[in-house]
Amino acid sequence: MDLHSELILEEYRAQLPVFEQMQTEVMRTLREALDRIGLRVTALESRIKTEQSLSGKLALKGSKYQSLRDITDILGARIVTFYTDDVDHIAAMAEQLFEIDWNNSVDKRMLHQLDSFGYNSLHYICRVPGYDYPFELQLRTTLQHAWASINHDIGYKSGVEIPREYMRRINRMAGILEMADDEFSRIRTEITDYRRRVQQLVQSGKLDDVQLDGDTFGSYLEVRPFDSLNRRIAAINQAEIQEVPLNRYLRVFKAMGCKTLGDVERVVRQYENDAYRLARHQLGNTDLDIISSAVGVQNICIVWILSTGGGKLGLKHFFDAINGHNTQNDAIAKMTYEQAKKVMGYGL
Amino acid sequence: MKTIIEEKGNQLIAKFSGRLDTPAAVQTAEDVKPLLEAKDKEIVLDCTELEYISSSGLRIFLSVRKEAGAHGCKVKVHNINADIRQVFMMTGFVSLFEID
Repeated sequence: MDLHSELILEEYRAQLPVFEQMQTEVMRTLREALDRIGLRVTALESRIKTEQSLSGKLALKGSKYQSLRDITDILGARIVTFYTDDVDHIAAMAEQLFEIDWNNSVDKRMLHQLDSFGYNSLHYICRVPGYDYPFELQLRTTLQHAWASINHDIGYKSGVEIPREYMRRINRMAGILEMADDEFSRIRTEITDYRRRVQQLVQSGKLDDVQLDGDTFGSYLEVRPFDSLNRRIAAINQAEIQEVPLNRYLRVFKAMGCKTLGDVERVVRQYENDAYRLARHQLGNTDLDIISSAVGVQNICIVWILSTGGGKLGLKHFFDAINGHNTQNDAIAKMTYEQAKKVMGYGL
Repeated sequence: MKTIIEEKGNQLIAKFSGRLDTPAAVQTAEDVKPLLEAKDKEIVLDCTELEYISSSGLRIFLSVRKEAGAHGCKVKVHNINADIRQVFMMTGFVSLFEID
């Protein structure tokens, strides 16, 4: 190694604590910014180039660099995203967080010819306020990351020049993964649109147009269809209402034969008064002043089961569906049946 | 009202005996504190000898579920009698806990 490269290495050793400090600062800044915009990523990682790696780089092209400041990847950070759109989203975020050296930053995604495929990543050379040295931020999708890692592994292991045919096959895989990336992004966009449409239908009350499934039931729960019943029940003993997830009732409504949210809504409206009467009968003679937000929908299901002839067995199946199979469900079903018989009659 | 906490393998078992009513709730809340700090355990609220539970008792069970659940614990209610079963049913707590 020549004297010039030795001097750069010496500067590197002296400045290592500065790079370590900068690494902490960069990671904290990125983590906080991702949390702020609520974007989930598959990886957020960083590394400081090792002395061995830097020596190798200097041995190859040391004369290219005037000083350590010209080597832009001593500190490297990488964010691996789920979707291609997120790469651009995070790039915009990085532009706000750091000063970008546009002359040295490169969008490798744009470098390919129309008929070529290969390494795809966005590389930003950034500066953190208060630090003299730049760092490199790589942004790529999970699939781009997979391709780059495998490509690196193959190149690293071979030790000989890889024949053109194999290179072509590797690059062809980059094309396939690019298509997959685009398709995943499209699927996400379409699902988001679908959810939005469902939410609009739920809010506009056109529930018969919405098929009942996990997503649509989630949207239905967001408009809080059991709140008024729960409040009436809570008022019996001036009780507080503890919020609990109600998603498990999806399978109950499906078992009740509901095909659309309109079907669910009809069951709710038809049986909510009986559900309230059952709750009043049960809670009226107690001083229980805490209920869960499941109590309204639970009682609606109970009165539906009994009014449609489901009997004790129907109630047991219901408790099995919401609690999982266990020995207590039989006893709970019998007790509920006896209580409901007093209130509802139902010719039981 | 008495609460005994036992550790058995990956389980933390809280054995309640007596009446968990409002006056007893203050001491019981204190007694179950080790459960709130547990991590990745299966917590069993053993009610075999619990005769009665009030709203204050339900709140204690709820706090165990919330706090320990946030630390990766699974909370089970074991062997409740008919009266307590009725309380769980009436309040909708039956949907909140795994009961065996």
